Amino acid sequence: MLNEFLTRLRFFIAGKNQREVDEEVRFHFEQQIEANMQAGMSPEEARRQAAVAFGGVQRVREQCREERPGYWLETFVQDMQYAVRGFRRNPMFSLTVVLTLMLGIGSTTAVFSVVDRILFRSLPYGDSERLVSVGLVAPIEPQEFMLGGSYYEWQDNQKPFVALTSEIGTEPCDLTENNPARLDCARVEGNFLPALGVSPVLGRNFTEAEDRPNGPQVALISYGLWLSRFHLDPAVVGKLIRIDGRATEIVGILPKDFEMPRLQAADVLLPQALDVAAERRADPGHPMWAFARLKPGVSIEQAKAELSPLFEYSLRLAPAPFRKEVHLQVRSLRDRQVREVRLAAWVLLGLVMAVLFIACANVTSLFTARGASRDRELAVRSALGASRMRLARQALTESLTLSVAGGAAGCLFAAFLLRRFIAMAPEGMPFLSKAQIDLRILFFALTTSLVCAVCFGLLAAIRKADIEVLTGRARTTIRRAVLRRWLVIAQIAASMILLSGGALLAHSFWNLEKQSFGMSAANIVTAAISLGQTSYPTAESQMDFFQRLERHLRYGPGIAAFAISDSIPPGGYHDDQVYASLRVEGRPVLSSGTGGTVASRWVTPEYFRALRIPVVQGQGFSGEELTSNDHFVVLSKSLAGRLFPGENPLGQHLHLHNGAPKENDPPYIVVGVAADVKNGGLAAGDEPEYYRLRRQRAPDWNRSSVVILKTTLPPAATAAWIRSQVASLDPTIPVDIKTLSERVGKLADRPRFEMLLVGFFAFTGLLLAVIGLYGVISFFVVQRTQEIGIRMAVGASRADILRLVLANALRLIVPGVFLGLVLAFALSRVLSSLLFNVAPHDPVTFAGATALLILVALLATLIPGGSATKVNPTVALRCD
Amino acid sequence: MPQPTDLLQGTLDLLILRTLALEPMHGWGIAQRIQLSSQNVFQIGQGSLYPALHRLEYKGWIQADWKPSENNRKAKYYALTRTGKKQLEAEIESWDRLAGAVALVLEQG
Repeated sequence: MLNEFLTRLRFFIAGKNQREVDEEVRFHFEQQIEANMQAGMSPEEARRQAAVAFGGVQRVREQCREERPGYWLETFVQDMQYAVRGFRRNPMFSLTVVLTLMLGIGSTTAVFSVVDRILFRSLPYGDSERLVSVGLVAPIEPQEFMLGGSYYEWQDNQKPFVALTSEIGTEPCDLTENNPARLDCARVEGNFLPALGVSPVLGRNFTEAEDRPNGPQVALISYGLWLSRFHLDPAVVGKLIRIDGRATEIVGILPKDFEMPRLQAADVLLPQALDVAAERRADPGHPMWAFARLKPGVSIEQAKAELSPLFEYSLRLAPAPFRKEVHLQVRSLRDRQVREVRLAAWVLLGLVMAVLFIACANVTSLFTARGASRDRELAVRSALGASRMRLARQALTESLTLSVAGGAAGCLFAAFLLRRFIAMAPEGMPFLSKAQIDLRILFFALTTSLVCAVCFGLLAAIRKADIEVLTGRARTTIRRAVLRRWLVIAQIAASMILLSGGALLAHSFWNLEKQSFGMSAANIVTAAISLGQTSYPTAESQMDFFQRLERHLRYGPGIAAFAISDSIPPGGYHDDQVYASLRVEGRPVLSSGTGGTVASRWVTPEYFRALRIPVVQGQGFSGEELTSNDHFVVLSKSLAGRLFPGENPLGQHLHLHNGAPKENDPPYIVVGVAADVKNGGLAAGDEPEYYRLRRQRAPDWNRSSVVILKTTLPPAATAAWIRSQVASLDPTIPVDIKTLSERVGKLADRPRFEMLLVGFFAFTGLLLAVIGLYGVISFFVVQRTQEIGIRMAVGASRADILRLVLANALRLIVPGVFLGLVLAFALSRVLSSLLFNVAPHDPVTFAGATALLILVALLATLIPGGSATKVNPTVALRCD
Repeated sequence: MPQPTDLLQGTLDLLILRTLALEPMHGWGIAQRIQLSSQNVFQIGQGSLYPALHRLEYKGWIQADWKPSENNRKAKYYALTRTGKKQLEAEIESWDRLAGAVALVLEQG
């Protein structure tokens, strides 16, 4: 074996001496002559017969050389050199192919990486496919939730799950030690981690005793906190830390990839320690979020069916008017996490496939065009003795070289694109920041490029070298031209789909940006402040802080208006309640249904002036009311219209929490009606709204507030000044300062991101399709040079020639556009939930996209068209 | 009568190996010997003989040495190697099986 291998290796490296073969052949030849002479021939005849018998010496030599083990390498190197020489002779062709592949493969890979993270990533839980999110959905909260009043009933009596667990949300908490820090603390049920299939990397989970009210203070900490705060010291388990001033024992460390099922940030897990007996009696009980593990073999539909008796139980607890609007929801955890991102991801994937298709069609079309123009070269080579196999291999080498170059460029481009996506992406896109080009995706890209290579290579190779071409009069086969024409039509159709999709999203984005918010964001700086639980434990201390802050800020340089609210429009968090819980004194309440939701805010008197929200009726809030014992409210116009149709709302008394105990439901005096302000985010519908006056009374205050300043100074200067003023009061408080325009702009991040991505693909697709069209038309012109020459010789004008070329282009453009429009019309419905104030079949948008495509396509044909008119008849007729 | 081109490549290799199993021989001698022992059925053309010899040599089944020939000229003598011998046995066996199978098919009915 070794001997054999060494022999092979030696021959592989050195080959055999060419002279040896010659000598061997000569010996054979002479032996033959001798034998012939012995058979009685004359010396000349013997030599002649031997030569006849032997055949071509050169051929034997070459065949012997071809047997050499290293021969394929030799030809491969030859083919490569030949290919590279060819590329250098025709750099435009090679560059176009590589660029096309780069765009196609690069964008496919980058978007696949993103979509993979969103749609197909594996969740960091044991056997995560069986995890579901369970709960009720209601108009007030479209994401499923549970209530303590019925959750434990469910937990005791449910059948479809191995385990049912819950969490009650995440809150900011403070690590009150040396070097204090603001953390996110999540409160979870004792069986939370086992139900999710997560075990701590160190230490243990909560015990049952720890998940009871007044149980031992224990915590599990995140891997990130363990690393940053404790430098991965294993001795931290069992150590006491102070969370919000209470000594808490660390009992375990969470795995590195742990995340909360609703994806909130969490540095510390604490037992939720709810009083189960009290919750069971409570109505409605503590809000919570429930997750469950399906029993093996139980589907989500089955689980939903089996839960319906329990759901009925929960419904009975709900007030009658609400029952119709509450539904049971059971869905996979993955579905809960990706929500509407899923649609965007699929749309993106579809667009990318369209671009990849256009790119592949382009490359195919480029290769066939090049093949057609090389017919003669191939015929010459085949006449000179190149075997068909060798020609095919040569063609394959060429396309492989280009595809590998394109694939490599594509990988680089993908890495670049992905980095751009991550930088551009809004915060709400889950997991995008963790997206990376992984090996599978790289494999995907390389496979794509290899499949492309084999396809194009074979297309070039299966064609027979036609000796007829050497006569110089043969026409290129029509069939190939037909294939290319269909490819171009398909490309234009695909690009039409991309363009109309891009145009719809752009139009929708334009509407979003141009809409009126009902307030003015100009010159407004906002500072969101959240006070620590330990330093400001009571509402009094919280109010005191904000009042001191007001004294510091109110009369500062350039401050034209000052207000404090608990939240700000147009998007983001604000308080919500159902319309049915509002009651005008002396009138019956809404008899059926919840009436939808109503937004509310706590504001100080200058809120309306600072944001330039017109108070259309009444006075609004005044300074005197601040110290009053009465409660005051300003209604939005839509809420006033609904509560007091055709009446004067001013001076009416309104109860905000119908059904609550009397001391919690004081009457509010309506003192004004303000114009409607957008409050449901950019795209969502608006809710009626009311504003409560934040008096100088502790119950009106809480930990989190937004300070709103109207300033005549540059925002940056004001921001720095606010920061210094807050720090002078309490240096440990984190402040989030932004102009209101920035906050509004942030809301548009997501649609902007979607529009930019789709726009990018639409542009790429258009570019590629136009390259394809340009290629076909210029090929057409080159092929018909002679015909054009004849036409001109018999009197055709330049305009006639241009018309001929344009007519030919239109025969591609019109069917392509038509086909694309039909498909785009059928597909654009998918986009409708991503669109704002644009119908998915908006005629203006479609007309615009069509006009743009036709215009660009005609421009692309004008270049070869122009060169056709410059054909010199005498030269054209003489060629060949 | 089968032309040399009709010879399956593997068959020619088998014939060469079998011929060299008798004694080391040069190319011309191999061709003569095969023609003689096949009673002129196989006439091995040089165009297939030498590439085959080189192929077998590259595979390490035969090895070549320059030696004086019968009429005292320098000639390239090929001889079976040890792997070559094993290969020959294997090839004969598989040839027998093939031939037997073909014969069975032809004789049926």
